[in-house]
Amino acid sequence: MVAKHYRPAGKKKEGNAAKFVTRTQALKQLQISLPLFRKLCILKGVTPREPKKKFKGNDKTYYHVKDISFLHHEPLVEIHRAIRVHERKIKKAEAKKNVERANRLREKTPKPKIDRIIRQRYPRFVDALGELDDCLTMVHLFAAVPATESKKIDVELVHKCRRLAHEWQAFVSRTHKLRKTFVSVKGIYYQAEVEGQKITWLTPHSLQQVVSEDVDIPTMLNFLQLYEPLLCFVNFHLYHSINLKYPPMLDPRLEALAADIYALSRYLNGNTRPAILNSETSQLVESEQLESKQDGAQTQNEKSELRLAQLQHQLPSNEPGALMQLVEKVAGEGEEEYDQETRECKNLFRNVKIFLSREAPRESLLFVIPAFGGTVSWEGEGAPFAESDQSITHQIVDRESQGHRFLSREYVQPQWVFDCVNARIILPTDNYFVGRIPPPHLSPFVDYDEGAYVPEYAKTLKHLQAAARKEVLPLPGAEKDLEDPQNLLAEGIIDRAAANEAAEKKQKLMKQEQRFREELKKELKGETYTSAGSAVEKETSTAVIETGESTNNVQANTDDGAEMGKLLLSRRKRKLLEAMQISNERKKNKHDTIIKRKKKLDEAQNQRS
Amino acid sequence: MKKKTVVESEMKKKKSNEKEEAPPPPSDHDDSDDDDSDDSVEVSDYDSISEDEDSSADSIDDDDSSDSDSDSKSELEDEEGASPTTHHNASDDSDSQDEEEDVVDSEGGSESSDLHQEGGGAESDSSEDEVAPRNTIGEVPLKWYEDEPHIGYDIKGKKIKKKEREDKLGSFLANVDDSKNWRKVFDEYNDEEVVLTKDEIKMVRKLMQNKAPHSDFDPHPDYVDWFKWDDAKHPLSNAPEPKRRFIPSKWEAKKVVQYVRGIRNGTITFDKPKKEDDSYLLWEDDSGLTEKANHLAYIPAPKQKLPGHDESYNPPLEYIPTQEEINSYQLMYEEDRPKFIPQRFTSMRSIPAYENAMKESFERCLDLYLCPRVRRKRLNIDPESLKPKLPNKKELKPYPITCYIEYKGHEGAVTSISIEASGQWMASGSSDGTVRVWEVETGRCLRQWEIGEAVNCVTWNPLSDIHIVAVSAGHDVLLLNTGLGDEEEQQRIKELLLIDSPEASDETGKKAPSVRWLKDDKHDGIRLRHLKNVTSVEWHRKGDYFSTVMPSLCLSTWHESSLTFDTFNDLLSSELLSSCDPPHFIFNVSLTYSLRESRSVLIHQLSKKLSQKLPFKLHGLAVRSTFHPSRSIFFICTKKTVRVFDLLKSKQIKKLDTGLKEASSIAVHPGGDNLIVGSKEGKLCWFDMDLSSKPYKVLKCHPKDINNVVFHRSYPLFASCSDDCTAYVFHGMVYSDLNKNPLIVPLEILRGHANSNGRGILDCKFHPRQPWLFTAGADKMIKLYCHQ
Repeated sequence: MVAKHYRPAGKKKEGNAAKFVTRTQALKQLQISLPLFRKLCILKGVTPREPKKKFKGNDKTYYHVKDISFLHHEPLVEIHRAIRVHERKIKKAEAKKNVERANRLREKTPKPKIDRIIRQRYPRFVDALGELDDCLTMVHLFAAVPATESKKIDVELVHKCRRLAHEWQAFVSRTHKLRKTFVSVKGIYYQAEVEGQKITWLTPHSLQQVVSEDVDIPTMLNFLQLYEPLLCFVNFHLYHSINLKYPPMLDPRLEALAADIYALSRYLNGNTRPAILNSETSQLVESEQLESKQDGAQTQNEKSELRLAQLQHQLPSNEPGALMQLVEKVAGEGEEEYDQETRECKNLFRNVKIFLSREAPRESLLFVIPAFGGTVSWEGEGAPFAESDQSITHQIVDRESQGHRFLSREYVQPQWVFDCVNARIILPTDNYFVGRIPPPHLSPFVDYDEGAYVPEYAKTLKHLQAAARKEVLPLPGAEKDLEDPQNLLAEGIIDRAAANEAAEKKQKLMKQEQRFREELKKELKGETYTSAGSAVEKETSTAVIETGESTNNVQANTDDGAEMGKLLLSRRKRKLLEAMQISNERKKNKHDTIIKRKKKLDEAQNQRS
Repeated sequence: MKKKTVVESEMKKKKSNEKEEAPPPPSDHDDSDDDDSDDSVEVSDYDSISEDEDSSADSIDDDDSSDSDSDSKSELEDEEGASPTTHHNASDDSDSQDEEEDVVDSEGGSESSDLHQEGGGAESDSSEDEVAPRNTIGEVPLKWYEDEPHIGYDIKGKKIKKKEREDKLGSFLANVDDSKNWRKVFDEYNDEEVVLTKDEIKMVRKLMQNKAPHSDFDPHPDYVDWFKWDDAKHPLSNAPEPKRRFIPSKWEAKKVVQYVRGIRNGTITFDKPKKEDDSYLLWEDDSGLTEKANHLAYIPAPKQKLPGHDESYNPPLEYIPTQEEINSYQLMYEEDRPKFIPQRFTSMRSIPAYENAMKESFERCLDLYLCPRVRRKRLNIDPESLKPKLPNKKELKPYPITCYIEYKGHEGAVTSISIEASGQWMASGSSDGTVRVWEVETGRCLRQWEIGEAVNCVTWNPLSDIHIVAVSAGHDVLLLNTGLGDEEEQQRIKELLLIDSPEASDETGKKAPSVRWLKDDKHDGIRLRHLKNVTSVEWHRKGDYFSTVMPSLCLSTWHESSLTFDTFNDLLSSELLSSCDPPHFIFNVSLTYSLRESRSVLIHQLSKKLSQKLPFKLHGLAVRSTFHPSRSIFFICTKKTVRVFDLLKSKQIKKLDTGLKEASSIAVHPGGDNLIVGSKEGKLCWFDMDLSSKPYKVLKCHPKDINNVVFHRSYPLFASCSDDCTAYVFHGMVYSDLNKNPLIVPLEILRGHANSNGRGILDCKFHPRQPWLFTAGADKMIKLYCHQ
């Protein structure tokens, strides 16, 4: 009896067996260890494949032969072998107590270069941007991770991640590419649009992350080994595109003040000014640059210096004269190069001057507000302007405090900024006053398709947006009076009145909508449409009862129809249809529970009132 | 002895100051050496102190203490003057500090010189006047004097009283005001505060740095070669100079070569300043980029799902599950449980760190490098659009829709019905052992026969003038005269049913042993006795022939060919014994059994009262058989296949592969080229015999067994009935154009029958002229569905 898959000697393999190899086979072929193989796969972007027929069993992982040969020719394999040899030498030197040689060897350990691989994986810049989501999320996460020696998370690595993240944010902020933000429990989501690519990333809340035990840090570090240079190159490209020298020189003092992003944006603003406007500012910039260069040289002195810098900000610094300089808006500068949306984003906070109180999430607000054209300052060292500045229009406060209150400005919660950004209008601040529970924060990523549940506040926002679009013209005139607090107050009142009106309108609209929906429902139920309108609600309900029997029949009929349609489908399509129906059912259930909860809440509210 | 103790007391004092192991204290001589400069400093210091303290209230005390300090010094020096120890100290000092301690310990050193003594003496003399009474208790634990009012005795043996202590607050306040406070030291031995001079502090500092305390001490003096001098007569060593001193070192050369090679090969490089970033413009020009040809298609990883409202830190209230709902999650299976439970925080500052951040990121990493990537078409379509577009049902009318008449009367499940060719009469057989004839339009039961056995199948003769019903019950097939029609017709029927019983028995003895034609007196008809249960009876269109199927008799020629004659005979006999036939019959059977015939399907001729076996080989169990509506073609449906035989040529034309597990019924389209097969899995196969031997369409319509399928004779309709109590009516249009596929449209689901013992509708038949459907249910009812 011949074996089922007998292949005579000398005959080549055919089919799936020729195209795919299992992981073990691949390891044997490459003569490398499993961890190294994993690392190579991560770096080169080689993923397992799903052969049509799993010739070695379902429990195996299969790789394409071409992928494996692709890895086979990879210089990284050689480099890693060299590294291993080197490690052995170091070990030997240490065993012989030849510390000097060990150190020298350690310094000379070959380092794998990733740039070629990045170019290979992302042949075009747009490709790299398209897959930047995971990269950014990871880098932002590691920027907030505590450096732990035992888990091999270096201080340097964390600092570099932080730097790269800030550089990216500074670019996005400077070029006003930020589109959406969302404060979730998991962190803050941002979405930017760079070169037509929508890039979404998640930054953890500015608290230190806990490195749990069930996470394999080496794997993540492998990813980071790819992501870090990738982001570096992307940043380089982006900075290059706006005529900036890439590794930006920063003011270490600001850096130490955890206002790196501000320092960066200042750098960007300082250096991208097309023509020197007046000698004074140019001198300022120059002097700043000089200073920053010197300081930059200092920062090269690695961790200790950085730590010192961080310690510095705890000590009161006596340095006189704030180095700060306001982020000046150069009017009409390159306005044409922006597209419509960018211009809209850029001008959202144009006439808003915001001051951040101590508890407000400074890092994210410093990123978001300038990205939408606002001016911002904060409490503490190095702030561009003080709290007492009369031109401040809004102050972001998260905790009600007993401090001095300026009448000329509005005290709002940080959510206001994020909601404004998502709605692309300056929302009325009444709901966001300090001490109140702000209105729900809605995700800007949700597309309301037909029949989906739309939260109430989303509708409100929509109406406000519509209102704002109509009133776009009168707004600039009102801005001139911003300095005068009295006018401002009066304006506030007018605004509020307008908002009230809008709310009333909205309510009316909503009522109409509801009516329309109800009628639709009735139609669906097979009732005759009563042109008398909703005034005869009671009547229609009785009609329902009367026609209950017939509707039942009709329903059975429609069911039959549905079933009959299914009959003629091929099995594959039928299964697909059933799967779809199940998922739709699930969606509907979710939707129904939300509506049920809403109903309950409304009832409770009604009872209370 | 006394002197020494004094010196040591001073040592102690210093030690207590510094609280650290320091080299031995400086000797007093030191003071005397730098006298001039020191004095001046001291004076100025004291002045400043006194100036400071004059203003303060405690100025007097301090003055006193300073006085006493200077006194003590002078006293010391005074004593030194007399003692040899001090001198020796002084002389040592000049040499090295390290030896000092030893020297101090060894009393009565011999190296004292007069010169020093004189100097010391003179100095001490000068300060003799200031000598004040000092403590002379010697080196005893001070603890002994703790409770005493005095601290010791002066040189004259008088008690030295303890000084008044200021309370802590006072002393603290005084200390705060005093800028010299940090220099003050409390001397327990003499019960006084001592202000250290600048030099002393310098010394302390040096001690702290592990240096020689004296500033003028040179720790690294030039070497003086005492053994060499110009006029020396003999060299120290007479050995000749070794050769190695003259030739260059071999090892050194080797080392150098090694280094040189290392540098040349690049294994040794000199430390360069570290490069921070080696980033450059990686994507300089991607315009002229050609797609990589050799690689496999790259599938980018799918992006992560964007968050919805429920992930917000402050979601709308309706997104937050109530406590009950959260509790109910615990009852769910782990994989069904929602992974994320929305939470609400009233302000941004109260958001805690997300504990799963790391884990989720890690999971994403795993997905990225461990998951095979397959490009799937995401069907973002309306599920309704998947369904084929069916023609409007209204255009396909008429078809049976509503139940019009119910025929009640049977006392058991109605297993079979049959409609007379004119459509006026209907016969039905039931498991209660009766056959009834009904008038279709009125629902009147015309006639009833008691068969005595459960009826399997009832069939009218297809000719309208021969009112004969074939009934299969148990092993028998009965041909019954219904008594309808005019007298002429009745006459013909009676002739047909007339049977000469002995003749028939003879014939059976010779030719057709499996069936015997018997006269049935009770019902005035013919009884065909079979060997086994007969499940179905089918008439030929001409009304002369009919076929019967005995599925349980599965023996076929195939068996015979594989078995020896004897075993075959045994087998047959054992089987036939059960059917209580005479033994001689067995022999005949075995003889007449030819190689190429099947016994489970028989064809009978009514006019000649003949039965014959099919001259074909049949694989599998025959389930149903049917005649072609126009040609002499015969279909036998076995469990898995349908075999098509040409009766004239007596050979198999076609074999249709149903792909079903167990077929249960078959019906042929009146056109003859299409047929449908129903199965016990509830599937319905439509065969287009011109097209292929595989089903053209398989409809999975019933969840349970299909009991019967049927075509309408004139309308493009077909129906299936099943144990799930439903009957489906389809539109099945067959076009004369061969290029056009048959159109199948499901039209209606007919309900109404009740389930009984797990069985639903057992039979269904169309009316021959009208688009009406009769269904026979296990609930003892027959229903007529009409098109209005």
